[in-house]
Amino acid sequence: MTLFTIDEVRKTFTNGEVKEEILKGINLSLKEGEIIALVGASGSGKSTLLTIAAGLQPASDGQVIFEDNNLTSMSSEEVRKVRASKFGFVFQFAHLVPFLTVEEQLLLMLDVSESKLKKSEQKNEVDRILKLVGMDHRKNSYPSSLSGGEKQRVAIARAIIHKPKVLFADEPTASLDSKRSKEVMLLIRDLTKTLNITTLMVTHDEEMLAYTDRIIKMSDGVILQDAL
Amino acid sequence: MNLAWKEIKKNKVRFLILGSIVFLVSFLTFIISGLANGLSQDNAALIKDLPQGQFYMNKDADQTYNLSKIDSSTQNEILSKEKDAVAFSLQMGFLNDKDNKQQSVAFVTSTESNLFENVKHNEVVLDSSMKDKGIKVGDTLTNNQFSGKFVVKGFVDQKKYSHAPVAYINEQDYKEIYRVDEMQMIFVPDGDSSKEFAGLESFSNKAFLNTIPSYNAEQMSLNMIVWFLVVISGMLFAIFFYMMNVQKIGLYGILKAIGLKTSKLFQLIWTQMAIITVISLILSVTFSQAFNMVAPQGMPFSLTIATTTQLSIVFLIIGFIGATISGLQIRKIEPLQAIQQGEA
Repeated sequence: MTLFTIDEVRKTFTNGEVKEEILKGINLSLKEGEIIALVGASGSGKSTLLTIAAGLQPASDGQVIFEDNNLTSMSSEEVRKVRASKFGFVFQFAHLVPFLTVEEQLLLMLDVSESKLKKSEQKNEVDRILKLVGMDHRKNSYPSSLSGGEKQRVAIARAIIHKPKVLFADEPTASLDSKRSKEVMLLIRDLTKTLNITTLMVTHDEEMLAYTDRIIKMSDGVILQDAL
Repeated sequence: MNLAWKEIKKNKVRFLILGSIVFLVSFLTFIISGLANGLSQDNAALIKDLPQGQFYMNKDADQTYNLSKIDSSTQNEILSKEKDAVAFSLQMGFLNDKDNKQQSVAFVTSTESNLFENVKHNEVVLDSSMKDKGIKVGDTLTNNQFSGKFVVKGFVDQKKYSHAPVAYINEQDYKEIYRVDEMQMIFVPDGDSSKEFAGLESFSNKAFLNTIPSYNAEQMSLNMIVWFLVVISGMLFAIFFYMMNVQKIGLYGILKAIGLKTSKLFQLIWTQMAIITVISLILSVTFSQAFNMVAPQGMPFSLTIATTTQLSIVFLIIGFIGATISGLQIRKIEPLQAIQQGEA
């Protein structure tokens, strides 16, 4: 079932008198539960495509349809609500809140997504997700005491605690060594499959492609190849 | 989730520094304000303690009360028309105590009124600060221009003029000392400023205080220091929060990316500002009130709860403005920029 449709999306940046078209009419459909990797050289437009799909920046032209909602015609507040409740994000760096414990990072996400769970249920859910990512033993730790891999695990837990429909991952393993990268990728795959979350991921690391269902290769703002 | 308090708890030193600065600036402001009020009382308590009304002095006096003379017919006319009006005079002078030591005083005399002490011939009522000079009720004091002797009949609290204790004397005795026949001024309580009397110029209480030599200059300087400190504290808030916000741009961007409302980020800095300011103000109010109680007797210091409350409210408003100005950059933060930056 199609969850996300990207229709003729274009993105143009103007630098002085120079206009640069980063995306040149992208068409893409994402199915529920799919793990899609966007690959390509630097400047190919993959990160721009991911951020437009995630509602983090507007498209210059075209449409982004998510669950029958046209993100490109929504107000910024409406897009924020969709991001908070339906999307999860994992970035190259974990970007955890430095003054919150691991448990509080996840509770904050439930707060942001306006979770209907009661306080006790929220705590139980946090415990459950932390167990899933293998970080339950560090729930009272602050980010400063965690390793890079542990931080990224917490970031993944934060990204899925509110049961999003789509997980956007921008180079989630770029700051990790090879062993940790594989662990994190395996974790993303297992979790998104278990929770039926669609994943759109940008990566440079070809080793990570083994964990995806579909690979989209981009170059100069167009899709060169869309392979299962 | 109370993000504001959690951040303060985790970054105690950073917020302690900000709190210490707010405490020191507000404490200094309260102390300067106490001194300004104290000096103001010391300079003009006699006038400041009068109710709101109108002062009248001779137009020819060029707004200088000790050059003013109100002839008796005008005085009688006004006093008969205005029920609570009082004619009075005041001049700086001195009294000799029992050891023949000169004590500087401000002699005050008036017609019958409950606004001034009414004293009989050869009697004097003094400001209570004269007790510190060893003067007691029943003591006999003299003045070189006065043929008789003044017997101290009592003391009144906080009646000072031009930094000198007030000495209330009888009209007849005053006229003998200063060789005058007329009173200098008339005061009409609740008087209407539009009411005019031929040959007289009217002044509100505030306008009259400003005619007192040095009063205006002294108060202006001190009030300027007070308001300067208040503005500085606002700027400190803005600068501190700006610096903290700059360090957290990445974090704010990520929080916005995951869906946190910008208003929640403003709530975060407002709450932190309120917590820091309230704690700092509680401490500075406590310390300044303690100082008010232990301040040396001779020090002109007067800090009322009303003044500290007013200044505290001003500090909160200024802090709010400072924090809000610094927070305006939060609105401009693009989640995308933060994502493209390194670890926050």
